[in-house]
Amino acid sequence: MATPVLVVDDSGMSRKLVIKSLPADWNVEIHQASNGQEALALYREGKAHVIFLDLTMPVMDGFEVLEALKREGFNAFVIVISADVQPKAQERVKELGAMAFLKKPVKADEVLHVLKEHGLL
Amino acid sequence: MTMNNANLSIEQIDALQEIVNIAMGQAGDSLARVLNSFVRLSVPRIRLINSAQASQCIAEIVGDTQQITAVRQSFYNKLCGEALTLFSSEGCRDLATLMGHQTLDTETEKELLFDISNILVGACLNGIAEQLGADLSFSAPSLMASNVVSSQLLSPDTLPWAYALQVEVNFSLEQHKFKSHLIIMLAEDAITALADSLNYFIEAI
Repeated sequence: MATPVLVVDDSGMSRKLVIKSLPADWNVEIHQASNGQEALALYREGKAHVIFLDLTMPVMDGFEVLEALKREGFNAFVIVISADVQPKAQERVKELGAMAFLKKPVKADEVLHVLKEHGLL
Repeated sequence: MTMNNANLSIEQIDALQEIVNIAMGQAGDSLARVLNSFVRLSVPRIRLINSAQASQCIAEIVGDTQQITAVRQSFYNKLCGEALTLFSSEGCRDLATLMGHQTLDTETEKELLFDISNILVGACLNGIAEQLGADLSFSAPSLMASNVVSSQLLSPDTLPWAYALQVEVNFSLEQHKFKSHLIIMLAEDAITALADSLNYFIEAI
């Protein structure tokens, strides 16, 4: 069965880059959201086993998404992909339950490494 | 070229937004290291403005009753224009405390603001130029205005062009009043060069 993957970023180009960086042989069903609110709605519909999450977004940012996920039982693997590269931002998202932090622009080998490391491939 | 056909496509704006986002992240990281604080980043805003609107835009960005101090750096080569770093007067005092100054004379404050401007402008402009494969140089900071009402910062004749592409990013600190607005204005003549660079960038994805 295909893994439901949710790509969350306010930039369409950035979502495209993330999708392109996913391993070609990974059987996935891709969903997209352009802000945190849309992302949570899709998560609640079960469309997010793995979430690629941007931090700086309008309406609801990535930190708020992680907080909401925490309140709702956190039934997903979250990989934060962000341009906010402050060590504190990285620490914070890990504390909030994110599995990994990758810097933008994202690289395919880094995504592959994280997925393998956490047994998702 | 007129303002109308200077418009970038939605795809070009999206690409620029993401490029600015990455550059701003690097600037925020540098600022966080200097101030030893967590820096909150805003979503970059990009719009085309004419020089008559410029003053109103600044007032809108920082609040029109706000007293501000502005540092200006020009950039040139294929991409050219002006970068303004705006500080609220209140934020300046906060910055001094953050940097360990008990009292602050005008000269020291100026140096401090120049340092912050250099960090933000340098990281942002270099980040943008690097991603677009464009060469870019910029001037040393100069004090544009000190403690003025925001709506009086720019007059139409301060800017040597009819319109510009304005990129705005905001940096703020948690639990502090310090806030800085970085405003990059790309001159009208450089918009075509930017559009070309963005097309290369988009094609390469």
